[in-house]
Amino acid sequence: MRTRPACRTWLAAFLAAAPLAAQAIPIVEKTLSNGMRLVMVERHDQPTISLGWMARVGSADERPGMTGIAHLFEHMMFKGTRTIGTRDAKRDGELNDLQDKIQVGIREEMAILRERQRRGEITNMMDPKARTPRLQDLIKAFDRLVEEQRGLVVKDEMDKIYSQAGGTGLNASTSQDRTFYITSLPANKLELWMWLESDRLVNPVFREFYSERDVILEERRQTLESRPGGIVGEAFNAMIWAANSYHWEVIGWPSDIAQVTREQANTFFATYYAPNNITAVLVGDFNPAQATALAERYFGRIPANPKGVPEIITLEPAQPAEQRMLAEVETTPSIQVEYKTVSAVHKDAAALQALAGILGGAPAFMGRPGAGGGRPPSGRLNKALVLDQKIATQASASFRGQKLGGTFSLRATPVAGKSPADLEPLLYAELARVAKDGVKEEDLQRYKKATQVGLWSRLETNAGIRETLAQYLAVGTVADFQAAQERTQAVTREDVQRVARTCFPREGRNVLLTTRKQAKAPEGDPLKKAPERMKKLEGM
Amino acid sequence: MLSRTALILALCAPCAFAQAIPSRPEQLAFAPLAFQVPRAKEHKAKLKNGIPVVLSVSEKESSPLVRVTLSWRGGAYLDPKGKEGLAQLFGAQFSRGGTARLDPAQLDDKLETLAATLSSGCGETTGSLSLQVLSRDLDEGLSLLLQVFQEPAFSQDRLDLAKRQQRQALSRRNDAVTSIAAYQMNFLLFGDNHFASADTTATTLESITREDLKAFHGRLLHPANLVVTVSGQVDRKGILDQLNAGIGALKASTQAQVSAAVPAPAFTRKPGIYVSDKDAPQAMVQWAFPGLRRSDPDWHAALVMNQVLGASGFTSRLMKKIRSDEGLTYGVRTALGPGPHWQGDLTGSMQTKNRSVAYALRLAMVEMQKLQDEVVPAEELQVIKDNLVEAFPSQWGSRQAVAGRLTEEVLLGASEDWWVDFRAKVQAITPAEVQRLAKRLLEPDRLVILAVGKASEIEPGDPDHPVRLAEVAKLPLARLPLRDPLTLKPLN
Repeated sequence: MRTRPACRTWLAAFLAAAPLAAQAIPIVEKTLSNGMRLVMVERHDQPTISLGWMARVGSADERPGMTGIAHLFEHMMFKGTRTIGTRDAKRDGELNDLQDKIQVGIREEMAILRERQRRGEITNMMDPKARTPRLQDLIKAFDRLVEEQRGLVVKDEMDKIYSQAGGTGLNASTSQDRTFYITSLPANKLELWMWLESDRLVNPVFREFYSERDVILEERRQTLESRPGGIVGEAFNAMIWAANSYHWEVIGWPSDIAQVTREQANTFFATYYAPNNITAVLVGDFNPAQATALAERYFGRIPANPKGVPEIITLEPAQPAEQRMLAEVETTPSIQVEYKTVSAVHKDAAALQALAGILGGAPAFMGRPGAGGGRPPSGRLNKALVLDQKIATQASASFRGQKLGGTFSLRATPVAGKSPADLEPLLYAELARVAKDGVKEEDLQRYKKATQVGLWSRLETNAGIRETLAQYLAVGTVADFQAAQERTQAVTREDVQRVARTCFPREGRNVLLTTRKQAKAPEGDPLKKAPERMKKLEGM
Repeated sequence: MLSRTALILALCAPCAFAQAIPSRPEQLAFAPLAFQVPRAKEHKAKLKNGIPVVLSVSEKESSPLVRVTLSWRGGAYLDPKGKEGLAQLFGAQFSRGGTARLDPAQLDDKLETLAATLSSGCGETTGSLSLQVLSRDLDEGLSLLLQVFQEPAFSQDRLDLAKRQQRQALSRRNDAVTSIAAYQMNFLLFGDNHFASADTTATTLESITREDLKAFHGRLLHPANLVVTVSGQVDRKGILDQLNAGIGALKASTQAQVSAAVPAPAFTRKPGIYVSDKDAPQAMVQWAFPGLRRSDPDWHAALVMNQVLGASGFTSRLMKKIRSDEGLTYGVRTALGPGPHWQGDLTGSMQTKNRSVAYALRLAMVEMQKLQDEVVPAEELQVIKDNLVEAFPSQWGSRQAVAGRLTEEVLLGASEDWWVDFRAKVQAITPAEVQRLAKRLLEPDRLVILAVGKASEIEPGDPDHPVRLAEVAKLPLARLPLRDPLTLKPLN
């Protein structure tokens, strides 16, 4: 509904300052007989459905030695089932068994190499040159089995079936807290989704397991190691989280990725991929009653796991001392300060989010790539450090609430001629200013309005609703999603000041100071080097 | 906006349990689903001064937001020599530098009171200024949009800040294999004297003044350069009246110029395998063949061929071979540039560890040869075509998407209803046509290959798969020096 005042002077100003009404998304929730949950939103604007199902498992459920398995597992769920992905399920199964046997031998040889590396006899056990003769033979034998299996594999068949049916955005993602499998389909193909997704939960076969480990090592190189600051970021994160399993990156340590076994994957699946640990999200052009009946037929056949999933026991202890990391990276210098704070569903989360919004600028929501870009300039840090003092080129704050805890971060990039350390006291000063004087009511209202509009913008499409719902389901419940707008609007100036006073003790600081590392000189053209080499030879 | 036949599930809730689950997904039957492509003429209007408007609006829309975008023809190709980076800086500052009546802080303040967003950007050939605002605040939002559009101030203070930020961005050019590959490929494909490679340097950035931004703005502000796009919760007649009263009253000033045609590069490529040395754990590999224009009668066949090769994710051959079979990369993809102004390119890219570059490229070359030597199996082709056809409606999945796609066509000056027969044309492509286009486009002796990474590991290849980089194609192999990040002069 639209109310546009004829006269836009004080009336417009009054309306603009008034809080916005929350927009309720009509959600239908159902639980199947085996405990699997359905969260459904019916919308008939477009003839499509955005679909997903979430297993409440992520890298936080791992332990050292098998880090990265939750994410590796996500990849394996695309490798097919007893029906999908093979021309001969029987021989395919035999080949998998034979491969696993050879992998036992490979692991024995890897143990020898690990021992050699421990003793300093070799420097990198992953280097092909370091392989033992038996390892080399085993790899060859293994490759022959893979070659035979390839003849039986129907490559990426699930992808092919969805593609042909007009599916888009088939993908999955793993975080510390959850794994989410998504796609969007034309509205008439809902049953196809039920068929394929329930099939991979009932009959999965983790074929091409060992070559997929290599894909993930490449993914790690691409998304982490070859990004400037990537491995420093990984180390910084590990410094921040001492005991909690957020300590390692979702993708895992390279040593672990290379050694995960199919047996471990099977155990992982049996433990965490039971229906009572899974929630499906359906948004779009369908009828929830019919979808529930279909889901019961397809997903309802998966046996529940009466044992449930193991609880994560370890709690992050309070940080007893400030921690600092000084890094040299081939990139622009910067400072990042992180404080461990509360989880996304903690009663203080909304106030911390508001503090981040007021310090760092309202959440950016235009989402139009290439258009201007950057954060809106209103944040206090930006005003103070970038616009007024002109000592930084960027300054921001953010709160990241997760399931087991959260982080509040302050970041800034100094102007040329200033160092990251020059900015550090200024960041603390802005926090201290809020702790001492609080925030202006006007700033809080603006933050609330921008957040509300940002949410509306995200809730305009089926996929946007699915993603926003998933964000809350990863850390809480549908009720948390429904209460989110209300919680944001309920934050008071006192709440913001209180969290600013209590959540940022000096000993809670984790500081990363990055300065520019000079690039290694290029190796130069071997052809051009040749004369020098010749000279050396002549001298001999 | 979208018409469709009602979805009728062939089953009802009570009997759902009783039905058996078919043993293969192919046995499922689906109700028909019809989709009509939004017709341009139903979404277009003209302001009184001739500026076209593309609309996807309804007062009954449930989301309370409206988006208004003013787009223009004109971009980096208009940068004067020695002022490279002007269009980009202009684009970024347009919405952030205040107006003749409001300084930047006052403008930000007004926008934030409304929770409105104003953003702008300018690319190589076009740019835009966009407003997102609550429907109830549309009047005030529009008046701010118009004020910025007609009287931008390009505040010196904000310009200085943008230049400081931009200079830092320039200094990062050699920090990652991806950013190195981006500039190196432009030099390889377009030479030193075309806007596509004539990028900002510290000197050109330094020389850009507020007056340059104003002059650039002045020349663009010609009704013949402009297109307006509106989507969201607003009534069509009402918004057209408002636009007519504002931007519809714009007349070309004396500085205004109709943007010239985008110049094609006059450069003869040197096919070859080029290596830029950068110490990194993983290399960035890119390649390019000359492509074709979207107006070419072979465009749809080329598009389908490219989907078979590498543009359709896991359904494409390159992904199956190089990622799924060999585990050599996280992703490999090809793209067929639509060549709106000159013949585009058929490009490919992947990242892989340094020692795997040669072998992964060899695998890609084999797949490209196979497409020329062998007819694509009918079943494989059908999957590719069905995907393009069935997923087509999802590309028009929101008001913003509809308005955006139609605006793009207007900016390109393409025929009104280019998309209307798209699906029929795709479905008509035969295996023989795919093979013909593979032969036409994938000619190995016209190929430019670039690998950025640790040269001493890239060139010899992998002991497990002995192929040297030089053996990947019958093309000369050369080292390509990095360029200085601030001057773009080759480093030796």
